[in-house]
Amino acid sequence: MKLGSYEVKLEKKVNFTGWQATVISILAILFALFLVGFIFLQAGVDPLLGYKEIFSYAFVNAFGLPLTINRAIFLLLCTFAFIVPMRAGLWNIGMAGQLYAGALGAFAVAFAFGAKGALTSDLSAGLVIPAMIAGAAVSGMMVGAIPGLLKGRFNTNEIVVTMMINFIAFWLVSHMIKEGGPFMGSGGEGEGFKLPESIQPPLYQGIPFTIWIALGLSVLLYFVFAKTKIGYQIRAFGLNPSAARYAGISPFKISLLVFIIGGIIAGLAGYHYFATVPGVYKITKNYGDFGDLAFYGIICGLISQGNPLTAIPLALLFGGLTNGGRFVQGKLQLGFGIDYALLGVLMIILVAFQFFFRYRIVWKKMEKEK
Amino acid sequence: MWEFFARSLDASTIFTIAALGELIGQRSGILNVGIEGAMLFGATIGFMVAKVTGNYLLGFLAGIAIGGVIGLLHGFFSITLGGDQVVNGMGIWILGFGLTAYIGYPYTGPLGMERIPDALGLSPFFFVGIALIAISWFVLSRTNLGLKIRSVGENPSVAEVSGINVAKTRYLSVVTSGMLMGLAGAIYALDYNPVWNYNFLMGWGFISLALVFFSMWNPTILLGGSILFGTLWQLSLNPQLLFPNLLSRYIWRTVPFAITIGVLVLMSTKWFSSRWGAAKPEALGQPYEKE
Amino acid sequence: MSTEIKRGDTVLAAKGITKRYPGLVANDHIDFEIKAGEIHAILGENGAGKTTLMKILFGLVQPDEGEIYVFGRKVNFKSPLDAIDLGIGMVHQNRKLISAHSVIENILLGHPSAGGILNLKRAAEEITALCERYGYKVDLQAKVWHLSEGEKQMVEILKALYRGAKILILDEPTSALAPPETEKLLASIQIMTGDELAIVPFITHKLPIVLTVSHRVTVLRRGKVISRINTADATEQSLAKEMVGREVIFRLERVEDVEKGKPILQVENLSAFNDKGFLDLKGVSFSVHEGEIFGIAGVSGNGQQVLAEALAGLRKAASGKILVDGIDITNSTSLQRWQNGVGYIPAEQRAVGSIGDFSLVENMLMNYYFEDGFSKWGIVDTRKIRNLTEELIAEYGVATPNADVRAKGLSGGNLQKLILARVLSRMPRLLIVNLPTQGLDVGATEFVQNKLLEAKKARAGVLLISEDLDEILSLSDRIAPIYEGGFMGMIPGKSAERETVGAMMAGLQQKATVI
Repeated sequence: MKLGSYEVKLEKKVNFTGWQATVISILAILFALFLVGFIFLQAGVDPLLGYKEIFSYAFVNAFGLPLTINRAIFLLLCTFAFIVPMRAGLWNIGMAGQLYAGALGAFAVAFAFGAKGALTSDLSAGLVIPAMIAGAAVSGMMVGAIPGLLKGRFNTNEIVVTMMINFIAFWLVSHMIKEGGPFMGSGGEGEGFKLPESIQPPLYQGIPFTIWIALGLSVLLYFVFAKTKIGYQIRAFGLNPSAARYAGISPFKISLLVFIIGGIIAGLAGYHYFATVPGVYKITKNYGDFGDLAFYGIICGLISQGNPLTAIPLALLFGGLTNGGRFVQGKLQLGFGIDYALLGVLMIILVAFQFFFRYRIVWKKMEKEK
Repeated sequence: MWEFFARSLDASTIFTIAALGELIGQRSGILNVGIEGAMLFGATIGFMVAKVTGNYLLGFLAGIAIGGVIGLLHGFFSITLGGDQVVNGMGIWILGFGLTAYIGYPYTGPLGMERIPDALGLSPFFFVGIALIAISWFVLSRTNLGLKIRSVGENPSVAEVSGINVAKTRYLSVVTSGMLMGLAGAIYALDYNPVWNYNFLMGWGFISLALVFFSMWNPTILLGGSILFGTLWQLSLNPQLLFPNLLSRYIWRTVPFAITIGVLVLMSTKWFSSRWGAAKPEALGQPYEKE
Repeated sequence: MSTEIKRGDTVLAAKGITKRYPGLVANDHIDFEIKAGEIHAILGENGAGKTTLMKILFGLVQPDEGEIYVFGRKVNFKSPLDAIDLGIGMVHQNRKLISAHSVIENILLGHPSAGGILNLKRAAEEITALCERYGYKVDLQAKVWHLSEGEKQMVEILKALYRGAKILILDEPTSALAPPETEKLLASIQIMTGDELAIVPFITHKLPIVLTVSHRVTVLRRGKVISRINTADATEQSLAKEMVGREVIFRLERVEDVEKGKPILQVENLSAFNDKGFLDLKGVSFSVHEGEIFGIAGVSGNGQQVLAEALAGLRKAASGKILVDGIDITNSTSLQRWQNGVGYIPAEQRAVGSIGDFSLVENMLMNYYFEDGFSKWGIVDTRKIRNLTEELIAEYGVATPNADVRAKGLSGGNLQKLILARVLSRMPRLLIVNLPTQGLDVGATEFVQNKLLEAKKARAGVLLISEDLDEILSLSDRIAPIYEGGFMGMIPGKSAERETVGAMMAGLQQKATVI
């Protein structure tokens, strides 16, 4: 292509350095924010003011910051649930279903201990809380195992399967908490029963202990991928499944394993949001919103290129943006769903920017035509 | 009972048209997993235009047009930029899901227009769907254009050296594909269930995607599959017709999804694929770069 | 073309064709011409610039400099379509056919007068007439994947002729053909030259074919025209010398029988299905002994791929038994086979044998990650595998700046050396090699073949699968030609004759000798 006296050419990149990737990712995020700025404009709000409000609520405000962090923990766990299969070349878009299952599992344990309706019950936190975590992990794992098993055994398309399970789990939660379902709360408003205070985990500055699970997992996963035998096998399978099979790596084991790990982590995300965040402590009526929020995990996973450490600041950023977005909607009288709009725009911009990972644009001054 | 079957056929029309769109794209080698996103766009924009103008025709045209634009966008990412089609399709889906949730929100609620009249007790779109299936079958199997589409889907480099413009053929298919998805969405929002709610499709697009795999890329089998799933979907909404008071209505809603998984698994078995699996377009999902 | 073409008219001329790629001049001022009714072979090694020239003549690649004249008019090809419209047809080495489509659909694809609605009946009549003229027989309704390699090539030639080609470019026309199919092809080419068609075959190493069919030869080396000879004045030796730039030794030094030991591999009545669900391997039985190279000769697609994969544990056996050192491994996984001394070098270096986005160190780990010495508590011993990689890179002469570059940057020869190093360093008892020298240049080929002989001397059992008759004949102790999933017999390598093995590969001779 010719532009003035310059020739613009696309060249294929073989390798790009870490900082180039970072710059491209940051540019993509900024560009998406720029586009969403038009939504502010259209609603008659100065975009800079809008973003200022979002960021100050999300990261400075004493009410907003803990909410941001709690969302970030949730997003981080969803991101890991996406990343682990992604490193094996598989798409887990079933975080929503797995986290619903995790929430149901955790509350099933609480239910079994008689927590329903017993607001002042003196259940032993030291017993019930670990049991609830285990319940969440096991049910997330079982739901995650299905696509893994089917992928490994029959090579069934995991995208469709995980998506179908999202809907199945969504309706199962409704069945459990609505219209007389076993987990329905006493209010009769179609939400789950509330955990008694004794098994609400302790908070530090409004943040539950699950933050340590999330941070610990990011270090652990980083180490697993970089240094261990199993991490090597997952990466090999993700980059070239036929070569991995040639090297004796079992596609069945890897598919099952990554989805089990993904399911467990997503299950923990369900436990985190519905059982440990202050002011929640129940499966809420709008639980579907958190399934939707889980899709930010895909975005974090794609931007971080599967790096669990890079995912931390990203989860914090998007936790803040969605949290602040909800806040300014009310304050500045914007339409509902600015966080959804941002989700959509971010995703498509990311897709467009992928291109820069594969090509670079070369400007060359042309010789004057004779 | 007739009412139930009529509604089932209405539902199957949406599956038919959306999945037919995907099928045409896939026959040209372009996989679009974001079919639900394209449908959401068609449904939301169609609904908004119809509500504002009070004109159904404009609503449908808007739905088709936005579907075409979405198809073009997917084509741009997948053909011109040559990116991973699964990632691009995910982008289309999440864009549709996120953006329509925002732009459609002020229009939440019923359409409030006189319903589109039935033809022979069925939605007129049922017949449109049948006609589209027949046309697609004929074009794909009997015409030069169809041969070109199938060829770029099987082996684009061969098509290229035979003098076929691969990019042009794929763009044509993927835009047509998007228009059909947009139309399917608009039919949902304007005819089948004219009430707007955020993310109201709840899986129609993904089931359509599975239907394409199920159809073995054959429009006539696709029609059969769509009718099956339309009936199933309608049954899951009205289980009392067959099984009064058995299980909660929420449990019934899971049935179409569970059956979709079952069907997909059946199709991925060796038993199935070694008999009918060869129909899959060989270059499906692979970016093509000119040498 | 409006004007009548007469025998001897120059139909295509290229002048000063130059094409540069980063770091390489693929074509350096190449002049070339061809006349009606002439077969003008272009000879050159891999990398000599043949492929680039051919792509330029067919409009797939645009030259940086130079001019092309077709029927005396200067042309400027933007795409293959321009070339096709001017009467240039091309038959590619990797078949350019759509295997899911029928023969007639393939021939019609892209034809300008195919019409909006395909008129299959008229086309069928016209194509049948062409077939009769050139002595071809092919079922127009058959799906292409049902056809043999020779039939597929026939379809490609028909396709070019049906589009009105006057100049036919053939890329390595005989490389995938069994000897009888080659003869059929050459016969039909002779008829075509009688029809004033010009034919340009591009050939790498089948010098005898150049000598028998062509009128003139242009030899390329490193992007330049080295010489242009009338075939009548050339000999096999002189052509080879021109092509390579030095005298070539045509036969490897045979390593005579290392003392043949006990059997390592015993295969009993093994059958296996291919991916499409067809029985590709139909009950073969053989054994490979210590210090022996057992050669399986065959045109690809006759079951050897399935055999190699079944032995390596990548494909289930439908029936039969595989024993290594007397132990039944028919149902063991590929990992267990690696651990029990089986080594496999696949034909697909990049798709199967290596991971392009992994560094060379990580690629080395592919066959070592499961060894106890290379990890502790599940954590990989990075230093150990790096040292091993660096040692092997030096020992095998893999040309690379360091061990951290990605494998996809290596050339085919260097990658094959790396894979060879990785597998041979495990000292396998049984080594399975599939098309080990495919696509490699002369130097790398020689290196790989010597390494196989070394493995034999180290008393490994080697199963060599190859399409290259010379390779099979010079390396193998015993030869089993394979045809349609079964062995046509077994011949001692020492006394094997080229013609016999060639005929057996084509399925012509049943059970010649049994040893």
